[in-house]
Amino acid sequence: MSGMFTMRGINITSLTVSPCEKEGLSRMTVAIDGSERELEMVRKQISNLIEVVKVVDLRREEAIIRDLCLLRVQVKDSESRSTVMKLAESHNAKIVDAALDSVTLELTEEPEKIDRFVNLMKHFGVKQLFKTGVTAIGAGAER
Amino acid sequence: MTRVKLRGAEIVVDELKNEGVEVAFGIPGGVLLDLYDVLYKEGEIRHILMRHEQCAGHAADGYARVSGRTGVCIATSGPGATNLVTGLANANIDSSPVVALTGQVPTSAIGSDAFQEASTFTITMPITKHNFLVTRTEDLPKVIHNAFYIAHTGRKGVVLIDLPKDVLAGRARVDLHPKGTFAGYRPNIKPNQVQTKKTAEVLANAERPLILVGGGIISAGATEELRTLAELLGAGVVTTLMGKGAIPDTHPLCLGMAGMHGHSYANSAINECDALLAVGTRFSDRTTGWQLDQFAPDATIIHVDIDAAEINKNISVDIPLVGDVKLALSEILRWLEKTSRTAGADESVWVQRMREMHSACEECIKDVWRAGSSLSDMLIKEISEILDGNAIVTTEVGQCQMFAAHYYMTREPRTFISSGGLGTMGFGFPAAIGAKVAAPDRNVVDIAGDGSFLMTCQDLATCVENDIPVVVCIFDNRYLGMVRQWQELFFDKKYSHTGLGITPDFVKLAEAFGCYGERVEKPEALKEALDNAFKSGKPAVIDMIVGKEDKILPMIPPGGGVMGMIGTERCKHI
Repeated sequence: MSGMFTMRGINITSLTVSPCEKEGLSRMTVAIDGSERELEMVRKQISNLIEVVKVVDLRREEAIIRDLCLLRVQVKDSESRSTVMKLAESHNAKIVDAALDSVTLELTEEPEKIDRFVNLMKHFGVKQLFKTGVTAIGAGAER
Repeated sequence: MTRVKLRGAEIVVDELKNEGVEVAFGIPGGVLLDLYDVLYKEGEIRHILMRHEQCAGHAADGYARVSGRTGVCIATSGPGATNLVTGLANANIDSSPVVALTGQVPTSAIGSDAFQEASTFTITMPITKHNFLVTRTEDLPKVIHNAFYIAHTGRKGVVLIDLPKDVLAGRARVDLHPKGTFAGYRPNIKPNQVQTKKTAEVLANAERPLILVGGGIISAGATEELRTLAELLGAGVVTTLMGKGAIPDTHPLCLGMAGMHGHSYANSAINECDALLAVGTRFSDRTTGWQLDQFAPDATIIHVDIDAAEINKNISVDIPLVGDVKLALSEILRWLEKTSRTAGADESVWVQRMREMHSACEECIKDVWRAGSSLSDMLIKEISEILDGNAIVTTEVGQCQMFAAHYYMTREPRTFISSGGLGTMGFGFPAAIGAKVAAPDRNVVDIAGDGSFLMTCQDLATCVENDIPVVVCIFDNRYLGMVRQWQELFFDKKYSHTGLGITPDFVKLAEAFGCYGERVEKPEALKEALDNAFKSGKPAVIDMIVGKEDKILPMIPPGGGVMGMIGTERCKHI
């Protein structure tokens, strides 16, 4: 799949793969930032792959989109530690680990909200940042 | 289905026979010993031992293009498979159905950098329609069945099956001759009724209809429908390189090849038409040129193709029509029969205009021949007249290919075989081998350049050993002629590394292999030389000396559009 994108000169922003509700099949979520024309080309080229069973085109406005982010934030003193923890709480981020000079946070959210939170944390110093890549599901009835 | 316990290699050969395979082009190797052991014992599949795996790929491709059946090639692991890559890429981009079997190191050794190991599966992924790495002997029946089904349905293409040694050597209890395919593989066959009706309406109301024909028409066997449609509408027909032969070049409505090295009047027709029905073509840059505002600016463009991914890829179209082109054309014809269009082909102003352009071009070509200044022009005219559309012609790549595309007159589909998408030098000769195997009763002629032929000429040995008498006609200018032409026209005649010197002597080369060889220095001597070659019953090489600076003109320069051809001074009648 990723080879096909390279071959067709398509830039993808994210690609995630996991098993789905049907045994033997996997679901891939591909995020692309491009024009309608590029999107159409991507959809057709993916459909052409022999092992692809179905392609669903999820637009931003009609999908529930999530990314999972783990970040290790530097805390120099107890004041910054408590500020980071308060900000984490107000952004629904979980504290998953803590060390003397850092706090590790987990946030599952829409990609834009994650970006905003990460930018906020940069103020304290982001030592490490991990994201899983976006996954998405259509809003409302199954498609 | 019968459940039996068999060796992997036996399963492979049994399934190949079940798919109707009669011939395979290949070279054995260490990991393929089991497969070749079974081929030896069985003896039902004719195996042609090639002298280079690239040629095995091209021969299978040539066989497929001439016969309409799936070609099969075999190569061993590592270098065998990497040598095969060019052959497969060439077949796949031209949508030619080929199944390739490659040997692989045992599954336990995969990834260990074992002797003759290369990751054929990953290397060939972007140059095949689909590929398989088989890891269990019991999977073989299903894989082979699927490989042939995928290669030969939808947009045809190449499927590679990588076969580890232990999978071929191991035994398994299997159900032979399975059915079924992938859940996600549903090749688009039936065209949309609304779109076919809309197409028929546009065509019925067009004053200047034109049909642009690609290789898809030949692949789908839709040449009769094409001809009926063109005659019913009084529509001109222009072809791509791959579409050549879809309609006889001598047909009054055929305007020949369009595009970069096409006929100037074919390009003018594209510029002037008011409805363009493009069928089984992908609008490659070699057809459209690069100034897309000159490409059918006044036309409603309809694009019929079996591959939805081709629609709106290179050209934005008004009516997309996805499906089998034979079915689509039949549907369009059915709708047209219901409309009241009565204008016969002979009455239309457009038909007259096309005819004028056509005959003016004929005059220009005659002028060039009369002037006798280009031996290449004269020789291709001779070849065309001598063969009279009865032979199967393959081509190498470059000037020789474009001379053939421009001036060789075809009569039927599947008789003009050329490397369209990949432009592979060295393709024509091994493709001719495949063509001759597919059609042993036809004369098969490779229109070659000296540069191209040297890339695969070692397979003269294959021809001699297997009694495959093809004839290679070399346009011998001791240059990589097309690149030299570009250097002459666009790089101030700085012939950087395009001169090929004086070796070899092609006649002696032919004789060294046990072939017939003859040199032709004057166009009028060609007929006798070709007669001698055919009469010899041997594979033959005719070394035709041409002008070192002969050019194939007119042409669209790089970056130009269909109306921006250069070298049109020879087109003074148009």
